[in-house]
Amino acid sequence: MRRSLLSGLALLVLLSGCSGGGLRPLPGLNQQLARLNGSKSPSLAGSWLAFLAPRTAGRLQVQLIDLARATPVPLPGLNRPDAQPLSVAVDQRGEQLAVVRQREDRTELLLYRRSLQSTQILPMEPAGVPRSVSFSADGRVLAVEVSRGGIWQIDLLELP
Amino acid sequence: MPSWRPLLTVGLLLSVSGCSLIGGLRRQAASPAGLGSENRESPALSGDGRLLASLVERAGRTTVILQERRSGTLLPLRHLRSHQPHQSPSLSWNGRYLALVIQQGQRRQAVIEDRATGQLHPLFLPGGLEPQGLSLAPDGQRIALTVSRNGSTQVQVFDLSGLLEADRAPGQKESGGGPESPP
Repeated sequence: MRRSLLSGLALLVLLSGCSGGGLRPLPGLNQQLARLNGSKSPSLAGSWLAFLAPRTAGRLQVQLIDLARATPVPLPGLNRPDAQPLSVAVDQRGEQLAVVRQREDRTELLLYRRSLQSTQILPMEPAGVPRSVSFSADGRVLAVEVSRGGIWQIDLLELP
Repeated sequence: MPSWRPLLTVGLLLSVSGCSLIGGLRRQAASPAGLGSENRESPALSGDGRLLASLVERAGRTTVILQERRSGTLLPLRHLRSHQPHQSPSLSWNGRYLALVIQQGQRRQAVIEDRATGQLHPLFLPGGLEPQGLSLAPDGQRIALTVSRNGSTQVQVFDLSGLLEADRAPGQKESGGGPESPP
């Protein structure tokens, strides 16, 4: 009797450990993602997951996954061979992606509109070096981490 | 009245308020969180853009703060005055949930503060994975984490629907904000 109680208790502990306190992995998706060693900087909104995934020769590329279909979505014109993305953010509709990237000798913030396949550079005013970007999920506001004069600041940009 | 005068007035108002309009964008520096100039890092906006979480130095320790974006008013966080350095804050749609990575002894730990109930939810990752960064879905029903394993990083996604109520945009089911949200 005592032994079965103990084994029942052990099972409960095991089960609670497996559930991770209410955290449940998404096995199919996570197996796909695990193949992309070196990926980082996720941005999750609606049924969209944007992140930086390894490409070649130590370079990264922006990747967007439609979680409803568990499939990557093409981003024509966004990933350039001469650019290294540092940060990405996606809005709730998966329509706009904000990216900080290094290209040649500069670091720039750009806005990519998926339906138009267009990129728009958003200049830092006053001049500064962006490092990371965050979207409000409604797609209206960007918060950008910018270095100016050795100090990290946050710029807020309301999109038209 | 000359036709340029209203434009001048708008420009003056914007420059006084610290805003500028360039290329259709309305720009503003985040409201200061303390005295003088200090580093502000890792910005994260709530889904509706009303709240801004960021990292600042407090007594030499990297600490998360939460502010109303427009007014700069600081909002209280019940559980997040210790376990620094903090890292990678992320907010749900109405800002009910604030997820971030904290220091727990020798290890990094992902946690979520529920500002409506005051609860802190630690997220225990399987297989000894250690979180490096995260992004909470605006409705609070999923979380994506950068985790380190064997010296490399990868992104993994987890379902939170068994742990958190949804925090959706007003008008959708099960929406709800933090303590200061309008009824």
